[in-house]
Amino acid sequence: MKMCFLGGQSPPKPPNRGATRPPIPPGAPWPVKLQVRDLEVRFGERLAASAPALDVAAGEIVGLAGESGSGKSMTIQAVLGLAGTMGATVTGSIKLDGVELTGMSPARLRAIRGRRIAAIFQSPGLAFNPVFRVGAIVTRTLRLHGLSAAQARERAGAAMRGVLLSPDLLHRYPSQLSGGQLQRVAIALALALRADVLLADEPTSALDVTVQAEVLEVLRELRDSRGMAILFVSHDLAVIAELCDRVAIMRAGEVVEQGRTEEVIAAPRHDYTRELLAAVPRLGG
Amino acid sequence: MMSLPEPPLLAVRDLRVNFGPVRAVDGVSLTVSRGPFGIGLVGESGSGKTTVGRGILRLVPAAGGEILFEGQDVLRLRGKRLLEYRRAAQIVFQDADNSLDPRMRIGTAIGEVLTAHGLARGGVSERVAALLSEVGLDPALASRHPHQLSGGQRQRIAIARALAVSPRLLVLDEPTSALDVTAQARVLAIVRRLRAERELSYLLITHNLAIVTELCEQTAVLYLGRVAETGPTASLLASPAHPYTLALRSAVPELDQARRRSRIILHGEPPNAAAHPPGCAFHPRCPLAIDVCRVSVPELRAVAPGRQSACHRAEEVLAGLRPPIAAAQLSANPAAEPLP
Repeated sequence: MKMCFLGGQSPPKPPNRGATRPPIPPGAPWPVKLQVRDLEVRFGERLAASAPALDVAAGEIVGLAGESGSGKSMTIQAVLGLAGTMGATVTGSIKLDGVELTGMSPARLRAIRGRRIAAIFQSPGLAFNPVFRVGAIVTRTLRLHGLSAAQARERAGAAMRGVLLSPDLLHRYPSQLSGGQLQRVAIALALALRADVLLADEPTSALDVTVQAEVLEVLRELRDSRGMAILFVSHDLAVIAELCDRVAIMRAGEVVEQGRTEEVIAAPRHDYTRELLAAVPRLGG
Repeated sequence: MMSLPEPPLLAVRDLRVNFGPVRAVDGVSLTVSRGPFGIGLVGESGSGKTTVGRGILRLVPAAGGEILFEGQDVLRLRGKRLLEYRRAAQIVFQDADNSLDPRMRIGTAIGEVLTAHGLARGGVSERVAALLSEVGLDPALASRHPHQLSGGQRQRIAIARALAVSPRLLVLDEPTSALDVTAQARVLAIVRRLRAERELSYLLITHNLAIVTELCEQTAVLYLGRVAETGPTASLLASPAHPYTLALRSAVPELDQARRRSRIILHGEPPNAAAHPPGCAFHPRCPLAIDVCRVSVPELRAVAPGRQSACHRAEEVLAGLRPPIAAAQLSANPAAEPLP
């Protein structure tokens, strides 16, 4: 079967890019999905995260790199509209397709969160209730977002194939799947809901390197074939280098450097970036 | 007068560990030289690498095989001799959070080890301070509780605790997989320094081949409770003799685009020790499997000087046989169909 993902539908399909991806020119031809401006997340006086300007376009993976406590995850929570529920004050602008999300009513946000902006986290095990079969969890979420039972089943099966898993796994309990398989089911859920934006918070940090390679493969596939906009958080610059088109380096709540991934890695301008690069374990031989 | 050659620090022969019907470790042999020396045990979850480490320390009972520590039969040790062995061979677990009592101050947690082994003479707090400095921490941290420290600091406390009894063998069980790369680099730098200063021998258990590169002279790659391949780390990484090693090597994320090897993505179910497939345990996921692999179990055999591999096609792999490129695998995938 040949690849034809979006058929004739909009949004415009990004060109199918192979191993050597052309650089994205400024004013990219495909639309900016997520636009963050002057974002600040504070707990009282303390700045937990700030991002002066962060864009994620369709068909693009943008990395947020830094150590624990650098504010990467808090940025994700702010985009999800959840930082407020943790007691943080969020200022600035977060737009999805040009629509402002900050200050939106909780009810409207709920319809966007999950449905249009999906998120996956470090421990996929925590995202699945152990007493239900995986398929029941997936279809229930789809139904909550307005699909009929038949539609939900059909989409769940197709989305499983989209993340290179057999739909038969939907009949299993979460404990019967590996961490990598569960992480891919979590991605399948985003796929089934036709999310435009995927926020991925250290999704492979708890996985074996072999399984990590599989999950990264699936994320590339979502970018290249389905034009998903992905914001990928990791402490490991080697993973960022393999996956992300652009990267923002965060330290102590602030972005210290930002640019095209190859350029940042080949010629880091900030000492902290150099420190992160030096920490990456390298294969000899 | 000729002296007899010294036995190696640790010699494990055909170690077996069962959990009920599950053969977690299914005949593993390895040798650890006197320090400074490092051996890497590499494999995915379910490969049995952790159980090998615990079996060696007698934290889980062995179902068969032999463990010789400086020539002594470890599996027969009792009483005082066993206590001496426990002092000589220590372990650092992956999750430092669960190996430190949250209510106990750091100084007490380290001092407890000294007292338990009767090494408290000469002032516990001075010894604790010296151990903390040895792992690069401020001795003032002794008065803190575990939750007041970072994950990397807690892992260094776990190392200090293991060092308190001056072991000759250290089992490091995924000591950095719960840490950031920056904290990981600090912990690995400490291991590197300690191996020289204390002439330590260690077993470094990890799923990431990049970790063993600088720290281990030897590497053993495990799959479903057996050794798939073993040899000197540098030559094993430069030219693997088992397709599983190829896959593990290609899975390591690389900063340098030019060094990225064509990815070998392993499809199929991850290893499950409760259901050993017939023939070679790796054949259901192996991109190079041929008919013989489905019926006959490959024995671990010498394939080059110092190198052993349990693969029917080891010589071909060593000579450069590679699976087809991963990109082709993906575009040929039936998953590439439109969503309804």
